Amino acid sequence: MASIARSSLLRQVASASRVSMATRPALQQSVLARAATFHTTSKRELLPPLPQRIKGTVNDAVPVPEPSPAQGSYHWTFDRLVAAGLVPLTVAPFAAGSLNPTLDAILCAGILIHSHSGFQQIIIDYVPKYRTPTARKLFMWGLNAATVVVGLALYEFETTDVGLTEAIKRIWTA
Amino acid sequence: MAAIRSSSALLLGAAASRPALRTAVTSSTAAAVRGMAQVADAAQQTATSSEKPRLKTFQVYRWNPDKPTEKPRMQSYTLDLNKTGPMVLDALLRIKNELDPTLTFRRSCREGICGSCAMNINGTNTLACLCRIPKEDNSDVKIYPLPHTYVIKDLVPDLTHFYKQYKSIKPYLQRDTPAPDGKEYRQSKEDRKKLDGLYECILCACCSTSCPSYWWNSEEYLGPAILLQSYRWLADSRDERKAERKAALNNSMSLYRCHTILNCTRTCPKGLNPGLAIAQIKKELAF
Repeated sequence: MASIARSSLLRQVASASRVSMATRPALQQSVLARAATFHTTSKRELLPPLPQRIKGTVNDAVPVPEPSPAQGSYHWTFDRLVAAGLVPLTVAPFAAGSLNPTLDAILCAGILIHSHSGFQQIIIDYVPKYRTPTARKLFMWGLNAATVVVGLALYEFETTDVGLTEAIKRIWTA
Repeated sequence: MAAIRSSSALLLGAAASRPALRTAVTSSTAAAVRGMAQVADAAQQTATSSEKPRLKTFQVYRWNPDKPTEKPRMQSYTLDLNKTGPMVLDALLRIKNELDPTLTFRRSCREGICGSCAMNINGTNTLACLCRIPKEDNSDVKIYPLPHTYVIKDLVPDLTHFYKQYKSIKPYLQRDTPAPDGKEYRQSKEDRKKLDGLYECILCACCSTSCPSYWWNSEEYLGPAILLQSYRWLADSRDERKAERKAALNNSMSLYRCHTILNCTRTCPKGLNPGLAIAQIKKELAF
């Protein structure tokens, strides 16, 4: 997070150079130019890190969040069970050679839930609530909408078309 | 120390001077002492004339808070490895003593027990005192402060938030019942063994600052070092607040931002396994 200090410095340097560009000696300018080329990272920062902020004194502990197993341990356990359950579900139809619509439906539901919680984790990681609460809400509802749409599509595909397993089978041999 | 080491090595290395040493030892004591000195001198002279300096360049991250308009830069220092100790910290100390007294870094114990000299050396977070100067090639050694930290000066990162997080897990024994015999709280050998690989952590922050999850979410995610310490108290048979400790971690941010990237285990300069400790916490919390 040293880059925060850097970005603010960059701004200061930029404004300083705007003010006294004419009066600045050539040598100093070249030094500044060289310093500016030191960084190769892109300037298009989507979410530049904030300046450091210490809440309370340095001797206060960080506040402990309220326990919420639904977002914590239960969520994690459920994720693992779904992920582990998907392995046999993926293999079963091909190993057995049968195309049971119930099995197909369970597989579709499993994949849907698995990808939903996977995307959820990505959003929690990269759209932090303390930083961008509105964007977080937007992304989460977007994900929910996407999951519903994909769920409906899979339902349609299962009921009116050949179903997921058969489709993969056909694509595989094509 | 380094000078003694190199001269003694030279003494052993100089094959021609060995018979002289042996004859000196067989003669009288005074003569032996003089003989030793002479041999050492001779070895030193032949060495300085024959051995050419092994130069190594160290590129060090510099940023001075007194001049905030100056951008951070890399400064190069070249040292002769023949006159430098084996570790990167020796080189840094020599740079500070002989080349540039303004270079700033934390150091204390020089033997990997205090965790002060944690820094990023050649792209890996490690303790400078435990990291050997790579001698097999002539490439520069690049030294940065711990990644994704607020830098105070040069190689000194601000670990305030890290320590505040450490405080939040209550890193001390919490008990309500007194010991049955009124003496210390006893523990079986098996229970004590559970703490091996946990109590050795020196909180150097190498693992936490190497964790991408901690980079993105250090405000709320505790990070591998603090979670390893958390497990150290969860695994302690004498502690009686397991439920509270678990409840404090049972939310989406504190613990579950760990995605088993295992940078922490790879980088730990003490050879500990924070990834395993976090996995154990998750296992204990599951259902």
